Amino acid sequence: MLYFGMHMSRRSAPPPLSTKASAAPDFTLESLNGQQVSLSDLRGKAVLLNFWATWCVPCKIETPWLVELQNQYGSQGLQVIGVAMDDSGKDDIAKFAQDMGVNYPVLLGKEAVGDAYGGVAFLPQSFFIGRDGKIVDKIIGLKGKGEIEDSIKKALDTEAAKNEASAQTMRENGPAQK
Amino acid sequence: MVGMNVRTHNSKLICMLVLLVSTAVAQGGKAPSVSIAPVPLVTAPRAAQTMVDLNFRVSSGFHINSNTPKDEFLIPTALKMDLPTDIVLGKIAYPEGKDLTFPFSPDQQLSVYSGDFTITVAVHPLLAVTPGKYVMHGVLRYQACDNAQCFPPKTLPVSFDVKVVREPATHHANPAQSPHVHN
Repeated sequence: MLYFGMHMSRRSAPPPLSTKASAAPDFTLESLNGQQVSLSDLRGKAVLLNFWATWCVPCKIETPWLVELQNQYGSQGLQVIGVAMDDSGKDDIAKFAQDMGVNYPVLLGKEAVGDAYGGVAFLPQSFFIGRDGKIVDKIIGLKGKGEIEDSIKKALDTEAAKNEASAQTMRENGPAQK
Repeated sequence: MVGMNVRTHNSKLICMLVLLVSTAVAQGGKAPSVSIAPVPLVTAPRAAQTMVDLNFRVSSGFHINSNTPKDEFLIPTALKMDLPTDIVLGKIAYPEGKDLTFPFSPDQQLSVYSGDFTITVAVHPLLAVTPGKYVMHGVLRYQACDNAQCFPPKTLPVSFDVKVVREPATHHANPAQSPHVHN
Protein backbone atom coordinates (compact mmCIF):
# COMPACT_ATOMS: atom_id res chain seq x y z
CA MET A 1 0.00 0.00 0.00
CA LEU A 2 2.82 2.35 0.98
CA TYR A 3 4.71 1.37 -2.16
CA PHE A 4 1.60 2.01 -4.23
CA GLY A 5 1.20 5.47 -2.75
CA MET A 6 4.83 6.37 -3.22
CA HIS A 7 4.85 4.92 -6.70
CA MET A 8 1.83 6.94 -7.71
CA SER A 9 3.37 10.04 -6.16
CA ARG A 10 6.51 9.59 -8.19
CA ARG A 11 4.54 9.13 -11.38
CA SER A 12 2.67 12.40 -11.00
CA ALA A 13 5.76 14.55 -11.38
CA PRO A 14 4.27 18.03 -11.55
CA PRO A 15 2.48 18.81 -8.28
CA PRO A 16 -1.14 19.91 -8.59
CA LEU A 17 -1.46 23.64 -8.78
CA SER A 18 -3.26 25.15 -5.84
CA THR A 19 -6.16 27.38 -6.79
CA LYS A 20 -6.14 29.24 -3.50
CA ALA A 21 -5.07 32.57 -4.91
CA SER A 22 -1.66 31.33 -6.01
CA ALA A 23 0.15 33.35 -8.63
CA ALA A 24 -0.46 32.02 -12.13
CA PRO A 25 2.86 30.80 -13.56
CA ASP A 26 3.99 33.15 -16.28
CA PHE A 27 4.89 31.86 -19.71
CA THR A 28 5.56 33.05 -23.21
CA LEU A 29 4.13 31.10 -26.13
CA GLU A 30 3.75 31.64 -29.84
CA SER A 31 0.28 32.43 -31.09
CA LEU A 32 -1.24 31.14 -34.30
CA ASN A 33 -0.36 34.38 -36.03
CA GLY A 34 3.27 34.13 -34.98
CA GLN A 35 3.27 36.61 -32.10
CA GLN A 36 4.95 35.88 -28.78
CA VAL A 37 2.34 36.22 -26.05
CA SER A 38 3.17 36.34 -22.34
CA LEU A 39 0.61 35.85 -19.64
CA SER A 40 2.13 38.78 -17.75
CA ASP A 41 1.19 41.05 -20.67
CA LEU A 42 -2.42 40.53 -19.66
CA ARG A 43 -2.04 41.77 -16.08
CA GLY A 44 -5.06 43.91 -15.30
CA LYS A 45 -7.41 41.62 -17.19
CA ALA A 46 -9.25 38.58 -15.92
CA VAL A 47 -7.89 35.63 -17.89
CA LEU A 48 -9.54 32.34 -18.69
CA LEU A 49 -6.63 30.08 -19.60
CA ASN A 50 -8.04 27.09 -21.45
CA PHE A 51 -5.85 24.07 -22.21
CA TRP A 52 -7.32 22.08 -25.11
CA ALA A 53 -6.48 19.93 -28.12
CA THR A 54 -7.96 19.35 -31.55
CA TRP A 55 -8.55 15.64 -30.74
CA CYS A 56 -10.48 16.44 -27.57
CA VAL A 57 -14.25 16.22 -28.05
CA PRO A 58 -15.13 17.80 -24.68
CA CYS A 59 -12.86 20.70 -25.67
CA LYS A 60 -14.77 21.02 -28.92
CA ILE A 61 -18.04 21.06 -27.02
CA GLU A 62 -16.99 23.88 -24.71
CA THR A 63 -15.26 26.03 -27.36
CA PRO A 64 -18.49 27.71 -28.57
CA TRP A 65 -19.27 28.55 -24.95
CA LEU A 66 -15.87 30.21 -24.59
CA VAL A 67 -16.52 32.21 -27.76
CA GLU A 68 -19.87 33.37 -26.35
CA LEU A 69 -18.38 34.18 -22.96
CA GLN A 70 -15.55 36.17 -24.56
CA ASN A 71 -18.19 38.19 -26.40
CA GLN A 72 -20.27 38.61 -23.27
CA TYR A 73 -17.54 39.51 -20.77
CA GLY A 74 -14.77 40.90 -22.97
CA SER A 75 -15.90 44.45 -22.38
CA GLN A 76 -15.67 43.87 -18.63
CA GLY A 77 -12.05 42.83 -18.91
CA LEU A 78 -12.16 39.11 -19.65
CA GLN A 79 -9.57 37.65 -21.99
CA VAL A 80 -9.91 34.01 -22.96
CA ILE A 81 -6.62 32.40 -23.99
CA GLY A 82 -6.57 28.97 -25.63
CA VAL A 83 -3.44 26.85 -25.26
CA ALA A 84 -3.40 24.02 -27.81
CA MET A 85 -1.68 21.02 -26.26
CA ASP A 86 -1.62 18.62 -29.16
CA ASP A 87 1.02 17.51 -31.61
CA SER A 88 -1.04 18.53 -34.61
CA GLY A 89 0.62 20.96 -36.93
CA LYS A 90 -0.08 24.65 -36.66
CA ASP A 91 -2.28 24.43 -39.76
CA ASP A 92 -4.59 21.85 -38.19
CA ILE A 93 -4.91 23.90 -35.03
CA ALA A 94 -5.62 27.02 -37.09
CA LYS A 95 -8.23 25.18 -39.14
CA PHE A 96 -9.94 23.89 -36.01
CA ALA A 97 -9.95 27.39 -34.50
CA GLN A 98 -11.32 28.86 -37.71
CA ASP A 99 -14.01 26.17 -38.04
CA MET A 100 -15.09 26.85 -34.46
CA GLY A 101 -15.14 30.63 -34.94
CA VAL A 102 -12.64 31.18 -32.14
CA ASN A 103 -12.48 34.88 -31.28
CA TYR A 104 -9.61 34.77 -28.78
CA PRO A 105 -5.87 34.13 -29.08
CA VAL A 106 -4.80 30.52 -29.49
CA LEU A 107 -1.27 29.73 -28.37
CA LEU A 108 0.85 26.72 -29.31
CA GLY A 109 1.33 24.88 -26.03
CA LYS A 110 4.51 23.36 -24.66
CA GLU A 111 4.88 20.58 -22.12
CA ALA A 112 6.78 22.87 -19.73
CA VAL A 113 3.80 25.21 -19.58
CA GLY A 114 1.47 22.29 -18.89
CA ASP A 115 3.83 21.14 -16.14
CA ALA A 116 3.76 24.59 -14.59
CA TYR A 117 -0.01 24.25 -14.37
CA GLY A 118 0.05 20.89 -12.61
CA GLY A 119 0.78 18.60 -15.54
CA VAL A 120 -2.43 18.98 -17.58
CA ALA A 121 -2.56 15.20 -17.92
CA PHE A 122 -5.97 15.38 -19.54
CA LEU A 123 -8.11 17.96 -21.29
CA PRO A 124 -9.88 20.31 -21.12
CA GLN A 125 -8.59 22.24 -18.14
CA SER A 126 -9.35 25.88 -17.48
CA PHE A 127 -7.65 28.22 -15.04
CA PHE A 128 -9.34 31.46 -14.03
CA ILE A 129 -6.88 34.21 -13.27
CA GLY A 130 -7.83 37.46 -11.59
CA ARG A 131 -6.64 40.86 -12.71
CA ASP A 132 -3.91 40.66 -10.08
CA GLY A 133 -2.42 37.59 -11.76
CA LYS A 134 -3.62 35.12 -9.14
CA ILE A 135 -5.52 31.94 -9.91
CA VAL A 136 -8.94 32.16 -8.35
CA ASP A 137 -10.50 28.98 -9.71
CA LYS A 138 -10.01 26.07 -12.06
CA ILE A 139 -12.27 23.65 -13.89
CA ILE A 140 -11.01 20.20 -14.75
CA GLY A 141 -12.79 18.36 -17.55
CA LEU A 142 -16.03 19.29 -19.24
CA LYS A 143 -18.50 21.09 -17.03
CA GLY A 144 -21.51 23.18 -17.92
CA LYS A 145 -21.34 26.66 -19.39
CA GLY A 146 -22.91 28.00 -16.19
CA GLU A 147 -20.00 26.77 -14.09
CA ILE A 148 -17.50 28.38 -16.44
CA GLU A 149 -19.45 31.62 -16.25
CA ASP A 150 -19.47 31.51 -12.43
CA SER A 151 -15.71 31.12 -12.41
CA ILE A 152 -15.31 34.01 -14.87
CA LYS A 153 -17.30 36.20 -12.52
CA LYS A 154 -14.96 35.21 -9.69
CA ALA A 155 -11.97 36.20 -11.79
CA LEU A 156 -13.57 39.51 -12.72
CA ASP A 157 -14.61 40.21 -9.15
CA THR A 158 -11.23 40.12 -7.42
CA GLU A 159 -9.98 42.84 -5.05
CA ALA A 160 -7.89 44.22 -7.86
CA ALA A 161 -11.02 44.42 -9.97
CA LYS A 162 -12.85 46.29 -7.26
CA ASN A 163 -9.92 48.66 -6.80
CA GLU A 164 -9.75 49.24 -10.52
CA ALA A 165 -13.49 49.88 -10.67
CA SER A 166 -13.22 52.24 -7.71
CA ALA A 167 -10.33 54.13 -9.31
CA GLN A 168 -12.28 54.36 -12.54
CA THR A 169 -15.26 55.84 -10.67
CA MET A 170 -12.93 58.33 -8.97
CA ARG A 171 -11.48 59.36 -12.32
CA GLU A 172 -14.92 59.83 -13.81
CA ASN A 173 -16.65 61.53 -10.86
CA GLY A 174 -13.78 63.01 -8.89
CA PRO A 175 -13.19 62.36 -5.17
CA ALA A 176 -16.25 61.97 -2.98
CA GLN A 177 -17.36 65.31 -1.34
CA LYS A 178 -17.15 65.41 2.44
CA MET B 1 -1.34 1.88 28.26
CA VAL B 2 1.35 0.57 26.00
CA GLY B 3 -1.33 -1.27 24.02
CA MET B 4 -3.28 1.97 23.61
CA ASN B 5 -0.17 3.77 22.44
CA VAL B 6 0.48 1.06 19.90
CA ARG B 7 -3.15 1.25 18.71
CA THR B 8 -2.98 5.04 18.48
CA HIS B 9 0.31 4.82 16.62
CA ASN B 10 -1.13 2.23 14.24
CA SER B 11 -4.25 4.33 13.66
CA LYS B 12 -2.12 7.36 12.84
CA LEU B 13 0.01 5.26 10.52
CA ILE B 14 -3.08 3.91 8.77
CA CYS B 15 -4.51 7.42 8.45
CA MET B 16 -1.23 8.66 6.99
CA LEU B 17 -1.12 5.78 4.54
CA VAL B 18 -4.73 6.34 3.48
CA LEU B 19 -4.02 10.05 3.05
CA LEU B 20 -0.86 9.32 1.10
CA VAL B 21 -2.62 6.91 -1.22
CA SER B 22 -5.69 9.09 -1.71
CA THR B 23 -3.49 12.11 -2.40
CA ALA B 24 -1.44 10.12 -4.86
CA VAL B 25 -4.54 8.84 -6.63
CA ALA B 26 -6.03 12.32 -6.72
CA GLN B 27 -2.83 13.67 -8.24
CA GLY B 28 -2.52 10.89 -10.74
CA GLY B 29 -6.24 10.68 -11.51
CA LYS B 30 -7.92 7.64 -12.94
CA ALA B 31 -6.11 7.03 -16.16
CA PRO B 32 -7.51 4.97 -19.01
CA SER B 33 -5.79 1.84 -20.21
CA VAL B 34 -6.07 -0.44 -23.19
CA SER B 35 -4.73 -3.97 -22.82
CA ILE B 36 -4.33 -6.91 -25.17
CA ALA B 37 -5.18 -10.48 -24.21
CA PRO B 38 -2.41 -13.05 -24.66
CA VAL B 39 -2.48 -14.32 -28.23
CA PRO B 40 -2.24 -18.11 -28.56
CA LEU B 41 0.53 -19.38 -30.82
CA VAL B 42 -0.59 -18.97 -34.40
CA THR B 43 0.16 -21.83 -36.76
CA ALA B 44 0.45 -20.48 -40.27
CA PRO B 45 1.13 -22.71 -43.28
CA ARG B 46 3.36 -21.23 -45.94
CA ALA B 47 1.71 -19.80 -49.03
CA ALA B 48 -1.61 -19.51 -47.25
CA GLN B 49 -3.44 -16.79 -45.37
CA THR B 50 -4.15 -17.27 -41.66
CA MET B 51 -6.38 -14.89 -39.73
CA VAL B 52 -5.22 -13.81 -36.28
CA ASP B 53 -7.64 -12.29 -33.76
CA LEU B 54 -6.16 -9.70 -31.43
CA ASN B 55 -8.47 -9.10 -28.47
CA PHE B 56 -8.23 -5.73 -26.77
CA ARG B 57 -9.95 -4.33 -23.71
CA VAL B 58 -10.61 -0.67 -22.87
CA SER B 59 -10.76 -0.05 -19.14
CA SER B 60 -14.17 0.56 -17.65
CA GLY B 61 -15.57 4.07 -17.98
CA PHE B 62 -13.44 5.02 -20.98
CA HIS B 63 -13.75 4.80 -24.73
CA ILE B 64 -11.34 5.20 -27.62
CA ASN B 65 -12.12 6.34 -31.15
CA SER B 66 -12.91 3.63 -33.64
CA ASN B 67 -10.78 3.22 -36.74
CA THR B 68 -13.22 5.48 -38.55
CA PRO B 69 -14.13 8.35 -36.23
CA LYS B 70 -16.76 10.77 -37.45
CA ASP B 71 -14.65 13.89 -37.09
CA GLU B 72 -11.59 14.80 -39.11
CA PHE B 73 -9.70 16.00 -36.02
CA LEU B 74 -10.18 12.82 -33.98
CA ILE B 75 -7.38 10.28 -33.81
CA PRO B 76 -8.43 6.88 -35.17
CA THR B 77 -7.45 3.70 -33.39
CA ALA B 78 -4.91 2.08 -35.66
CA LEU B 79 -2.76 -1.03 -35.51
CA LYS B 80 0.61 -0.66 -37.17
CA MET B 81 2.67 -3.85 -37.51
CA ASP B 82 6.38 -3.85 -38.22
CA LEU B 83 7.13 -5.32 -41.59
CA PRO B 84 8.80 -8.69 -41.22
CA THR B 85 10.95 -10.00 -44.02
CA ASP B 86 9.13 -12.88 -45.64
CA ILE B 87 5.88 -12.98 -43.71
CA VAL B 88 3.39 -10.72 -45.35
CA LEU B 89 0.83 -9.12 -43.09
CA GLY B 90 -2.32 -8.66 -45.06
CA LYS B 91 -5.40 -6.62 -44.42
CA ILE B 92 -6.08 -5.45 -40.89
CA ALA B 93 -9.81 -5.66 -40.18
CA TYR B 94 -11.27 -3.33 -37.58
CA PRO B 95 -14.67 -3.75 -35.94
CA GLU B 96 -17.46 -1.25 -36.43
CA GLY B 97 -17.48 1.49 -33.82
CA LYS B 98 -20.38 2.04 -31.45
CA ASP B 99 -22.22 5.33 -31.74
CA LEU B 100 -21.83 7.63 -28.77
CA THR B 101 -22.93 11.14 -27.91
CA PHE B 102 -21.95 13.39 -25.04
CA PRO B 103 -24.75 14.61 -22.76
CA PHE B 104 -23.68 18.24 -23.38
CA SER B 105 -23.69 17.80 -27.13
CA PRO B 106 -26.23 15.26 -28.40
CA ASP B 107 -25.62 16.36 -32.00
CA GLN B 108 -21.93 15.40 -31.87
CA GLN B 109 -21.93 11.76 -33.01
CA LEU B 110 -18.88 9.70 -32.19
CA SER B 111 -17.81 6.24 -33.29
CA VAL B 112 -15.94 4.51 -30.47
CA TYR B 113 -14.70 1.26 -29.01
CA SER B 114 -15.34 0.51 -25.36
CA GLY B 115 -15.05 -2.68 -23.35
CA ASP B 116 -13.76 -5.55 -25.49
CA PHE B 117 -13.05 -5.34 -29.20
CA THR B 118 -11.17 -7.47 -31.71
CA ILE B 119 -8.88 -6.51 -34.55
CA THR B 120 -8.07 -9.22 -37.08
CA VAL B 121 -4.77 -9.44 -38.94
CA ALA B 122 -4.09 -11.64 -41.94
CA VAL B 123 -0.74 -13.45 -41.81
CA HIS B 124 0.65 -14.82 -45.04
CA PRO B 125 4.09 -16.52 -44.90
CA LEU B 126 5.68 -16.70 -48.31
CA LEU B 127 6.75 -20.02 -49.74
CA ALA B 128 10.41 -19.10 -49.21
CA VAL B 129 10.04 -18.75 -45.43
CA THR B 130 11.94 -21.31 -43.40
CA PRO B 131 9.49 -23.14 -41.16
CA GLY B 132 9.88 -22.10 -37.52
CA LYS B 133 8.73 -19.64 -34.92
CA TYR B 134 8.58 -15.94 -35.65
CA VAL B 135 7.51 -12.99 -33.52
CA MET B 136 5.35 -10.27 -35.03
CA HIS B 137 5.65 -6.83 -33.46
CA GLY B 138 3.57 -3.70 -33.76
CA VAL B 139 1.76 -0.98 -31.86
CA LEU B 140 -1.83 0.00 -31.36
CA ARG B 141 -2.26 3.77 -31.36
CA TYR B 142 -5.31 5.07 -29.57
CA GLN B 143 -6.66 8.13 -27.84
CA ALA B 144 -8.97 7.66 -24.88
CA CYS B 145 -11.65 9.79 -23.27
CA ASP B 146 -14.36 9.46 -20.68
CA ASN B 147 -17.52 11.53 -20.62
CA ALA B 148 -15.80 14.69 -19.47
CA GLN B 149 -12.16 14.62 -20.46
CA CYS B 150 -9.68 13.26 -22.96
CA PHE B 151 -6.20 11.87 -22.53
CA PRO B 152 -3.28 12.30 -24.91
CA PRO B 153 -2.75 9.67 -27.61
CA LYS B 154 -0.88 6.56 -26.50
CA THR B 155 0.60 3.46 -28.05
CA LEU B 156 0.27 -0.11 -26.82
CA PRO B 157 2.95 -2.58 -27.88
CA VAL B 158 1.45 -5.59 -29.65
CA SER B 159 3.23 -8.86 -30.37
CA PHE B 160 2.30 -12.41 -31.16
CA ASP B 161 4.10 -15.59 -32.15
CA VAL B 162 3.62 -17.25 -35.50
CA LYS B 163 4.72 -20.82 -36.14
CA VAL B 164 5.29 -21.14 -39.84
CA VAL B 165 4.80 -24.67 -41.08
CA ARG B 166 5.18 -26.28 -44.47
CA GLU B 167 2.29 -25.86 -46.80
CA PRO B 168 -0.10 -28.82 -46.88
CA ALA B 169 0.90 -31.46 -49.37
CA THR B 170 -1.11 -31.18 -52.54
CA HIS B 171 -1.71 -33.74 -55.27
CA HIS B 172 -0.49 -32.37 -58.54
CA ALA B 173 -2.77 -33.94 -61.07
CA ASN B 174 -1.51 -33.20 -64.51
CA PRO B 175 -4.30 -33.65 -66.97
CA ALA B 176 -1.98 -32.95 -69.85
CA GLN B 177 -0.12 -36.16 -69.18
CA SER B 178 -1.83 -39.43 -69.68
CA PRO B 179 -1.66 -41.64 -66.61
CA HIS B 180 -1.49 -44.59 -68.87
CA VAL B 181 1.72 -43.81 -70.66
CA HIS B 182 4.33 -46.37 -69.91
CA ASN B 183 7.75 -46.74 -71.36
